[in-house]
Amino acid sequence: MSRVVFEGATRVFPGQERPAVDHVDLEVADGEFLVLVGPSGCGKSTTLRMLAGLEDVDDGRILIGDRDVTRMPPKERDIAMVFQNYALYPHMTVGENMGFALRIAKVPKADITTRVAEAAELLGLTEYLDRKPKALSGGQRQRVAMGRAIVRSPRVFCMDEPLSNLDAKLRVQTRTQVAALQRRLGTTTVYVTHDQVEAMTMGDRVAVLKDGVLQQVAAPRELYDHPVNLFVAGFMGSPAMNLFELPVIDGGVEFGTRILPVPREALTGAGGSTVVVGVRPENLAVSHEGLPIVVDVVEELGSDAYLYGRADGVTPPVVARTDWRNPPVKGTTTHLEVIDPDAVHHFDPVTGHRLGR
Amino acid sequence: MSLRTRAAGASPLMYVTLTFVVLLSAAPLYFMLVMASRANSDILGIPPPLLPGDQLVSNVDRVFANADVQFAEALLNTLIVASVATLAVVVTSALAGFAFAKLKFRGRNVLLVVVVATMMVPVQLGLIPLYMLMTKLGLAGGLASVTLPFLVSGFGVFFMRQYAAQAIPDELIEAARVDGASTLRIFWSIVFPALRPAAAVLGLLTFMERWNDFLWPYIALDFDHPTVQVALSRLSGGYYTDQALVMAGTLMGTLPLVLVFILFGRQIVGGIMEGGLKS
Repeated sequence: MSRVVFEGATRVFPGQERPAVDHVDLEVADGEFLVLVGPSGCGKSTTLRMLAGLEDVDDGRILIGDRDVTRMPPKERDIAMVFQNYALYPHMTVGENMGFALRIAKVPKADITTRVAEAAELLGLTEYLDRKPKALSGGQRQRVAMGRAIVRSPRVFCMDEPLSNLDAKLRVQTRTQVAALQRRLGTTTVYVTHDQVEAMTMGDRVAVLKDGVLQQVAAPRELYDHPVNLFVAGFMGSPAMNLFELPVIDGGVEFGTRILPVPREALTGAGGSTVVVGVRPENLAVSHEGLPIVVDVVEELGSDAYLYGRADGVTPPVVARTDWRNPPVKGTTTHLEVIDPDAVHHFDPVTGHRLGR
Repeated sequence: MSLRTRAAGASPLMYVTLTFVVLLSAAPLYFMLVMASRANSDILGIPPPLLPGDQLVSNVDRVFANADVQFAEALLNTLIVASVATLAVVVTSALAGFAFAKLKFRGRNVLLVVVVATMMVPVQLGLIPLYMLMTKLGLAGGLASVTLPFLVSGFGVFFMRQYAAQAIPDELIEAARVDGASTLRIFWSIVFPALRPAAAVLGLLTFMERWNDFLWPYIALDFDHPTVQVALSRLSGGYYTDQALVMAGTLMGTLPLVLVFILFGRQIVGGIMEGGLKS
């Protein structure tokens, strides 16, 4: 078990000008579960592969424990990786797959058998040890891939979207299992996903990447409640946060028929005459006053319902959580009001940075 | 699975056509058997015989008994030459094919072009320089002279490269690398098993090619070291050709190939990569 440190880690792919990973500074504590999240092409997988030694580091350093591993081949880094498509050795049985790394490390045969059996027990794979991967279901293959990593007791787990090939239901189940397993083993884990629900639910901390640049690293709650910029605000949360660019008037912004107060420090931070106001769907409620909108769609999810509507002068559709027992009717006009003005976010429309606390 | 379903749904016309094609390709083999089992005078009669006769054993005996032909020795020689070349070609092609398909190194593309270019040089063009080379090396006349030039094959390397590129996902190699395997270990433990179907095909083709090779062995080998094709040519040499004898020899020269086909053919199993990756 070890901490992992990225110091200005940069990767520029040959023939490209813009780095795929751009001076990432990141510290993962010993035993921590860190999730790297971002849209496709943001450099999250590349960052992980740099840690695993599968991708060169063009600038900066990577440390595992106190060792500088920047130039080390994967086998000297003592890491294990779980791949998106599992990458199981097709001609080996489940047991051989899990024991392969130990066999290479010349661990005595009896030890291999014991360790594989333990890992199999932990993952409920005992009865499949003699099967080939092709005789397993997707979920079982995923568990074998996990098992292959666990058996080695590495210093760091690298997981590259390990759940993205499972169906929705299994993904939710496995999500909690993986998180629980990691907590039990206490192995430092860097986990890549594009799914922000996975990021929120699994990680001790979450690192958001965009265009190879680290945007924010924080605990999920902090990331949700205090996104540092427009990108993080829009990326985390489903449905996404509503973002309105509104003109500033008299210490607040005009939100339909209501004036939303804007804290003074936010206003002084904003250079221009407008400010971007971010309101999460659950912080909006149907009311008699506030922003008038025309209801386009009501999504009923069972425990929740979301209404999607259009407001005059606001380009993106507005989303609000609403009472699922009594949702507004499609096509009607209703008003939305902010429930908790303290939970409203403000951003600079030019730089995208958060204004105020 | 889908293949089986489709086969079950094939039309009668398809069966008729396929049966016809099979008969057409099997006919020369069949008539080889017919001619090998009859006396020379029968063969030349009109109409020609359509059914096998009873002289097969005596004809075969005569082939092996002919001291000028050295048929038994020729069979053994060819087996050695073809086996060594096949083994070498499969191993070197698999190694090089893997390297070209999956490893990154300087000059990779240029080297591959060079390899492919060797396929464009006609064999006949190389005969004389090759003979001079073998003489200089002191190998002319012996079996080494027909083995050594064929231990590596441009076609083999290219063939394995193409197969490796599509059959082995990069993640599999990366997974092995993370598991601590060296490149050579990755090749033997992960890549080679995955290349087995292609290796079997390449082995089969190479063995057949070496077995059937005539021109170069005819030039390079001395009288005491014939290969099967060279020995067969001696059967039909001279003023008078005993066709029954030639056909009996040809039959004996073909049987080992059929055997190899059966042995190697079982190795050509598709779907060996199934299940390793979720695509």
